[in-house]
Amino acid sequence: MKNLYSLESDMDSWDPITMAMANMIMASSKTQIPISSSLPTPKPKPLPVLHFSLSKLPKPQSLPTLKSISLVGAAAPLLLTPLPALAVEIEKAALFDFNLTLPIIMGEFLLLMFALDKLYFTPLGKFMDERDADIKEKLSSVKDTSEEVKQLEEQAGAIMKAARAEISAALNKMKKETQEEVEEKLREGRKKVEAELQEALASLERQKEETVKALDSQIAALSQEIVKKVLPIQ
Amino acid sequence: MNVLSYSTNTLKGLYDISGVEVGQHFYWQIGGFQVHGQVLITSWVVIAILLGSASIAVRNPQTIPNDGQNFFEYVLEFIRDVSKTQIGEEYGPWVPFIGTMFLFIFVSNWSGALLPWKIIQLPHGELAAPTNDINTTVALALLTSVAYFYAGLSKKGLSYFSKYIQPTPILLPINILEDFTKPLSLSFRLFGNILADELVVVVLVSLVPLVVPIPVMFLGLFTSGIQALIFATLAAAYIGESMEGHH
Repeated sequence: MKNLYSLESDMDSWDPITMAMANMIMASSKTQIPISSSLPTPKPKPLPVLHFSLSKLPKPQSLPTLKSISLVGAAAPLLLTPLPALAVEIEKAALFDFNLTLPIIMGEFLLLMFALDKLYFTPLGKFMDERDADIKEKLSSVKDTSEEVKQLEEQAGAIMKAARAEISAALNKMKKETQEEVEEKLREGRKKVEAELQEALASLERQKEETVKALDSQIAALSQEIVKKVLPIQ
Repeated sequence: MNVLSYSTNTLKGLYDISGVEVGQHFYWQIGGFQVHGQVLITSWVVIAILLGSASIAVRNPQTIPNDGQNFFEYVLEFIRDVSKTQIGEEYGPWVPFIGTMFLFIFVSNWSGALLPWKIIQLPHGELAAPTNDINTTVALALLTSVAYFYAGLSKKGLSYFSKYIQPTPILLPINILEDFTKPLSLSFRLFGNILADELVVVVLVSLVPLVVPIPVMFLGLFTSGIQALIFATLAAAYIGESMEGHH
């Protein structure tokens, strides 16, 4: 990242770089110096070396002449020289650099696996499974109570039925009793009334007979008187 | 030829301008061996993040989970789901392996995209995602190979090797070749994706420092997650494949 901050200067020197490369190819074609020798390549040095060495090269005078020259002087063996140089650069940038890091990472991974298993996977997994089992158990127990409720409801229904039957029986009995009582009283009253009626009728008859008797004696006297009055000559 | 030389020069110039330190390593010497210090440092940070967050979230599990525990339960269920679909009913013992694979790669990838590693200057090389280094990806891929061999051998014994001549013995070379291509494709897929992602972001940032790299960064986050999932799923698939009975 250190080149990031020198970005603008890089951008400025962008065109000159390619120009400088072309220039360099030209120079090597004249002097037969391999390009790799113009590049300082110490083993541990990082990439940017190339860039700085290039920008130090003398700047080209004019653009068109350079282009034409580079086209003219395109000799195959000379042009091939930059490619090995690039290869050297990439080789130094050790992308596929296997070393002791690999087994160390393996060991770290195994330790991490062991630690995470002890810290995370096993305890939390166990906890979750137990909770699942708990919830399932609770659910099934809730189903059981619903059956119990049903049973209890049935029981309650039976009790209610029995109570209703008892009550209705008692009611019927009471009704019967009261009816009998009422009827008895009614009969008694009727008897009494009848007796009184009989008595009244009897006394009425007696009075009638007496009156008829009294009327009979009076009829005799009256008839004699009538006869005396009618027959005065006697 | 001229065009070729011109293009190589252009490439070289781009390479310099972007300021990407590809393949630059911060070497440590351990007993005569060289190691990449920047990979180890970032991997320690990733491991610390994983262990710390997991231990905090799962320290005291509640029946009704709080936010952190909820997230970790979701992650665990996701990992179990992946393992179960790939391995089958006997997925239980493989959950730690698949889960650690997924979490390590995922957190590594995202740390490369989200953590400001570049603030810390190293004398040589730079800090980046651990999965940015071929050593890490090859290590994980080789562990996957070992894991599926172990799975097959422990399940079936030596008859596991009969799978090499399974449809017909003619396929023996291809079947043997598969054991090499599997770790190769696993490691290079992850390495290439993560390295390319970081390179694209860095180059874009160096060219256009504002706004333009942001969608690419989001794409990078997406790719990183997908790569972690792919690696874990494929590892689980290989394990499941070597455990399943062939008829």
